[in-house]
Amino acid sequence: QEAAKYEKKVMVVDFVMPTPLGSSWGLGGTCVNVGCIPKKLMHQAALLGQALQDSRKFGWQFTEEVKHSWMTMTESVQNYIGSLNWGYRVALRDKKVMYENAYGEFVGPHTIKTTNKRGVEKLYTAERFLIATGERPRYLGIPGDKEYCISSDDLFSLPYCPGKTLVVGASYVALECAGFLAGLGLDVTVMVRSILLRGFDQDMANKIGEYMTEHGVNFIREFVPIKVEQVEEGTPGRLKVTAKSTAGNQIIEGEYNTVLLAIGRDPCTRKIGLDKVGVNINEKTGKIPVNDEEQTNVPYIYAIGDILQDKLELTPVAIQAGRLLVRRLYAGATTKCDYVNVPTTVFTPLEYGACGYSEETAVEKFGEENIEVYHSHFWPLEWTVPSRDNNKCYAKIICNIQDNERVIGFHVLGPNAGEVTQGFAAAMKCGMTKEQLDSTVGIHPVCAEV
Amino acid sequence: MGWEERQVRGYPEFVRTAQRYHGRPIFALFCGDKDAEGKSWCPDCVTAEPVVRKELHNLPDESVFIYCLVGDRTYWKDPNNEFRRNLKLTGVPTLLKYGTPQKLVEEECFKAELVRMLFTED
Repeated sequence: QEAAKYEKKVMVVDFVMPTPLGSSWGLGGTCVNVGCIPKKLMHQAALLGQALQDSRKFGWQFTEEVKHSWMTMTESVQNYIGSLNWGYRVALRDKKVMYENAYGEFVGPHTIKTTNKRGVEKLYTAERFLIATGERPRYLGIPGDKEYCISSDDLFSLPYCPGKTLVVGASYVALECAGFLAGLGLDVTVMVRSILLRGFDQDMANKIGEYMTEHGVNFIREFVPIKVEQVEEGTPGRLKVTAKSTAGNQIIEGEYNTVLLAIGRDPCTRKIGLDKVGVNINEKTGKIPVNDEEQTNVPYIYAIGDILQDKLELTPVAIQAGRLLVRRLYAGATTKCDYVNVPTTVFTPLEYGACGYSEETAVEKFGEENIEVYHSHFWPLEWTVPSRDNNKCYAKIICNIQDNERVIGFHVLGPNAGEVTQGFAAAMKCGMTKEQLDSTVGIHPVCAEV
Repeated sequence: MGWEERQVRGYPEFVRTAQRYHGRPIFALFCGDKDAEGKSWCPDCVTAEPVVRKELHNLPDESVFIYCLVGDRTYWKDPNNEFRRNLKLTGVPTLLKYGTPQKLVEEECFKAELVRMLFTED
């Protein structure tokens, strides 16, 4: 849309290869269809369940038992997503951007071939290309994985309640899904190969795990599935999972209605003809290395989003990178995308917001003696009356002693962590120091005042 | 079989008609009432109607096009009227594909390209 603003002739080629179970979706990419949007809505559904429980202590009286309908929730979520898909199509059409719902691949210099779902092929040439094909969930490569397991691609439109679920993985996708499924009242187990939330501050990751354990999520640590078999067909059916310990020879078995794989995502870069135009990719990971202007080794081909090597996999980052790129190309701008101090939030039952360095990375980069960590537990006022945990919410900041105690890491674990973190991210971009933070008067009574 | 048009007035008649054609693609254009000379109190509806009518030949076979007059201006301005409450309409004119989130609102209805997209694409 940005390029069309500058009167360039633009085309978008988007195609969703259906999952092994047949799920597919409309225009908008992962975030809108099978990522952030449905995830946050389902997380909200789970939070509302908790709120209903809390409400009794605040005086609300209702005698009926409160139950949850998976179908009602999923229908509402999918309806909203449908309106977003439509909105994008209207926006593109309105701005005269051509849209082809077809699978695109390079066939030669400056040339791509598109194949739609009916197999009709067309060729297009262009001056420049932008690759933003994103990623898809990885499968385990064990017997029964593609036939019987689902991934996040299937979960948000699953036409039946998943029931007793085994989540394989310890990524934020795994923990967020496990979190809201448990919050909706389902029996959830998470099977973890080694650590939780690799790449995130481990102190915070462990606190998240502890909270989830205390709130009904079972964890099986240091095991990996080796086989998934179907015991009974159905919606949901019954599956038997066999797993092996990573620390020995122990084998365990378990029965679940649904097995959700969330062990990682792989870039969609292997089958789009990049070899035909000479674009380098990291053979091992499939990611595309780019310079700081998002340009690949082929000058007229650019790339943004989750497929980039060594860059953050976040929707707003991709959007920002894309917009700035177009402005540099067609509006004479020079601003490059700033990948430093990008805030993120993990929407586990106890939300975790972060910006900047984790404690481990800060120690590694600056040395333990040069950083100072300030931390505090806090008890949200809203949690007091319903007697919810008084020692679980937690905040910490990491400061660089050598640089005026500049705040280089911000971490908060508590309700609305995303909302809290956004403001602090802006402050960190301005170079806020501990002193400046201290001299900012807190808003009372809110969690953020800590 | 081509497509057919039904003209209705008011919410109950609209619902009855939509239910009658359940199973077929249904498109609906909602406009403000017309006076004795056939002119609507809603100026945008006056602009949109000819644009929409010009694209009707693109409707898929078996479709039903429901042309619905919602009521007078006072009725429409009431935030609790049935169209706003039950169909979630936010303005007139609204052109929508019944049972889907696909719709065009107000100035979007002036654009033949968008109307065509609504009628012809999935």
